[in-house]
Amino acid sequence: MKFILSLTGREIRSSWRRLLFFFLCIALGVGSVVALRSLIQNLTRAVGTDARALMTADFEISTTNDFAPEDLAKIEMVMGASKIVEAQNETISAAVMARPADAENLRVKFVELKGIEPPFPLVGTFSLSDGRPFDFPLLDGNGAVVARILIEGLGIDVGDQIKIGEGTFTIRGVLDEEPGGSSGFRLGPRVFVEKKAVDSAGLTRSARVRRRILYRTSDNPTQLVTELRTALKGSTVQVGSYREQQENLSEQFVRTENYLALSGLLILVLGGLGVWNVARAFVEQKRKTIAVLKCLGSSSAKILTVYGLQIFVLGLVGSLFGVILAQLGLYVTQWRFADVLPQKMTYDVGLSVGVQGVVLGVVISLLFSALPLLQIQTIKPKLLLRDENNTSVGRLDRKKWFAGLLIVAALLAIAVWQAGSLKVGAIFLVGLSITSSMLYAAAALVTSLLRRVRGVGSFTLRQSINSLYRPGNQTRIILLAVGLGAFVVLATHLTQSNIIREFDFTRNSKLPSLFFVDIQKGQIDELTAMISNRVGEVPQVIPAVRARIAFVNAEPFNYQDREVRREQGRIGREFAVTYREKLEENESILAGEWWNGARADEPQVSVEDAMAKTLKVSPGDSVTFDISGRMITARVANIRKLDLRNTRSAFIFVFRPGTLETAPQTFAASVLKHTAPTDRQRLQRDLLEKFPNVQIFDVDDILTSVKRLIENFVLAITFVGGFVMLSGILILIGSIALTKSQRIYENAVLKTLGARRAMLGKILIAEYGFVGLLAGIIGTIFAIGMSYAVSRFVMNIEWQFDPIVALVGVAITTAIVVVVGLAASFDVLFRKPLGTLRGS
Amino acid sequence: MIELRSLTKTVRSGADDLTILSDVSASIPGGQFVAITGASGSGKSTLLGLIAGLDAPSSGDIFVDGARITAMSEDELAEMRAKKIGFVFQSFHLIPSLTAYENILIPMEILGAPNAGDRAKYLLETVDLASRGHHYPAELSGGEQQRVAIARAFANSPKFLLADEPTGNLDSRNGQHIFELMQNLHSQNNVTLVLVTHDLNLAEQAQRQITLVDGRVSRDTEATR
Repeated sequence: MKFILSLTGREIRSSWRRLLFFFLCIALGVGSVVALRSLIQNLTRAVGTDARALMTADFEISTTNDFAPEDLAKIEMVMGASKIVEAQNETISAAVMARPADAENLRVKFVELKGIEPPFPLVGTFSLSDGRPFDFPLLDGNGAVVARILIEGLGIDVGDQIKIGEGTFTIRGVLDEEPGGSSGFRLGPRVFVEKKAVDSAGLTRSARVRRRILYRTSDNPTQLVTELRTALKGSTVQVGSYREQQENLSEQFVRTENYLALSGLLILVLGGLGVWNVARAFVEQKRKTIAVLKCLGSSSAKILTVYGLQIFVLGLVGSLFGVILAQLGLYVTQWRFADVLPQKMTYDVGLSVGVQGVVLGVVISLLFSALPLLQIQTIKPKLLLRDENNTSVGRLDRKKWFAGLLIVAALLAIAVWQAGSLKVGAIFLVGLSITSSMLYAAAALVTSLLRRVRGVGSFTLRQSINSLYRPGNQTRIILLAVGLGAFVVLATHLTQSNIIREFDFTRNSKLPSLFFVDIQKGQIDELTAMISNRVGEVPQVIPAVRARIAFVNAEPFNYQDREVRREQGRIGREFAVTYREKLEENESILAGEWWNGARADEPQVSVEDAMAKTLKVSPGDSVTFDISGRMITARVANIRKLDLRNTRSAFIFVFRPGTLETAPQTFAASVLKHTAPTDRQRLQRDLLEKFPNVQIFDVDDILTSVKRLIENFVLAITFVGGFVMLSGILILIGSIALTKSQRIYENAVLKTLGARRAMLGKILIAEYGFVGLLAGIIGTIFAIGMSYAVSRFVMNIEWQFDPIVALVGVAITTAIVVVVGLAASFDVLFRKPLGTLRGS
Repeated sequence: MIELRSLTKTVRSGADDLTILSDVSASIPGGQFVAITGASGSGKSTLLGLIAGLDAPSSGDIFVDGARITAMSEDELAEMRAKKIGFVFQSFHLIPSLTAYENILIPMEILGAPNAGDRAKYLLETVDLASRGHHYPAELSGGEQQRVAIARAFANSPKFLLADEPTGNLDSRNGQHIFELMQNLHSQNNVTLVLVTHDLNLAEQAQRQITLVDGRVSRDTEATR
């Protein structure tokens, strides 16, 4: 044991520089895993851990209509029988426009208005930014407590007045943190007013409001929620408990965390490839030392233990360094992204995540160096007498097969552990193996084709191609490693550009600059005239009827079913539906037929294809809508595809004319022409003075923040992609180190024969140029295939080939390989040949 | 005692088999100084490697100190070498990452020998390198490296010292010094010394000379003095 420990110490002392890449590969991989996992865990903690406080209650009953008397009676009956309800209150919320009462101040802003009544909140605390607890008298006589960003956005202060709908409110308090938290997407800052003030401002007549009855219970409310759902079956009233919300939130975060962890694992596995390469190079360089040790009487097992221990120590130190890197990464994230991340977000690496990272790093180090280390057994001491080509070294014997299988099993276990799912873990590993095998096969094919042109071209060219075939060459390994790096980065980039193209509605040329909703029929003429005058464009006006889906094929949704409940947000919400004769330019029919001209005998509806899939309907099926309490059953006439990249409005349901004309409806108007921000503000301001019920979306303004969001998203992905590329570069450096001694010897011979340094430099550039070009081409071809498959079959989005990204990808890969190759081999050019030749 | 019985060693050379040693038999009694001579390619080094268990013969048997080493596994051979055999190479084969002192320490550490440090220092003094123990092989001259290699070979007080052209890479003065050192250690410790050399002057100083020609023993003579 003493021999093992002391030799391990001495070997580390002498070889640490050579193993620096090993160390970096592991540090980078562990850093990625730990940083990504910490980031998402901290985010989870910051936004969504306490669903009860988010809901401000134990459970809630909500609707976007008024509660129907029969529903209230059913609720009353169930609640009356329950003994666990401690307290209840009602809230009413709506997204509405707010503007300062001061006529000189032209600003307007969307706000999320919440009308509350005591006791509020049922769960959690509510204090103002000056530390005072919230008190209901603050809201008396049209008082309002508002979020700080509204004060800043409108340029007003406490004591000033704002107008919302037909009401005028005095600001009595400011809040930094509201009960119910600040997670999720918000249209605007929060404004708290008295519940009855929402009515008196006329907002319940026009705006989209959601009414909630909230309850605090003394015990688990699950049973009560089930009873309520049973009682309310067939009604559009929704019942939800904080426990379910917690469940969904946790599930979403865990899924995101595991997917991110897999991205980290990918970087770590690439780092593992680097480790494998370095370990191979290391064992190769240590052949003589190993032979000497064997000659002096050391067993293979002892030598294996010495080098295994060395790998363990380096893996451990590298992993610890990786944790430090992760912490630095988190600080960088804080510095760059703090403004878009939750205020409560922390930026520390958690202990358990750190330990997990270190364990992963050490295990990956040992796994990936296992096969190279097993070569130690095949090194014979006789090579000290005659260094023959040890042909058995590369052969796969039974032990290596066994070790290989063990490594694959361990990798599978790690992937499953990191993904939190056997299926995803297995898909990850199988995908990686298939990709690697295909890349290796492509590399083998390309190099064998290149071999045919070995004799062609100048001396420099011939020599550089010959270098790719020198004994013990690492050409295929470099092609595999760099190709894999290029593949991952480019596949991410190509997929990302397709995702952004799909979702970036800022590119939509038909996107309106201003969008007006909740226009009453009697207001249309005056409002359109006013807009035309100011903007110079007649707005397009579309009727909009508010409807909810009540039944599909006469069956109500079963909200007891978790899967259905998960879709509740999409299918249970209120839809704005319209009716028209013609198909829009950006629409196409996937199934069934569009109606032409004549009115049908029965109501007919066209359903957008994604919604049709969710509802599992096809032409001929029926969907029953609840329109202001009236049930209208419509036959699905066709399934319609919407091109969201080229759309002015996007209706999920479009009725055939003849059904909805008499239903209660409002109108939406839009203009495309872009005007200056101050003009838009003045127009909004004037319109709201005249038509306080109308809601205005300043799309141009919203786009600015969306663009910033997308930019941050791109930056984050590029950041992860950069780590992948860095791993690829480390692998490349490791591979170069493998063949360096041969390169040094060849250069010494060529110099002796009269080759000048410039010529040797050119050979070097041409050699790495070939390798980089081939790796870039192979990686890019695979990346194109992968991005196509992911876009079309996984994300279900349109795929477009981006030749510029592909060409730039190949060029950058080539450049990186040449630069890194030159940097790693540069000293070779300056070595004196005599020393080299004497040494060998 | 080393006993070689009908040793043959054949290797693949391209498509053909190349016989390096053919039916070599010999018996070397304990404490004897034997020189193996012959032209380049005659099989001298191969024979020495087979005696040390660094390689296996294609046929025949080798007995070292009564043990049939041709039946031993790799690890058994390694243990046998650690305990009984010291080997000196023409190109020294010191571990470049270890100092001279540490190189000498290694065989003792492999065996877990007590007082290894003291013995390593003693051996360094024996080979006149007491002040160079902390130097790495690259910082030593060829002669000095070979002296370290000899000290290393004697670390575990082996019964057999096998030396493969130990002076081949040295000038005549250093070569003579090394040879004398080995001779002294041989006589002081009563080890069996098998020296492979093509230097006939050195060979003549051995108690016995075995000459190989094309892998066969062509002459086996004992010195009369």
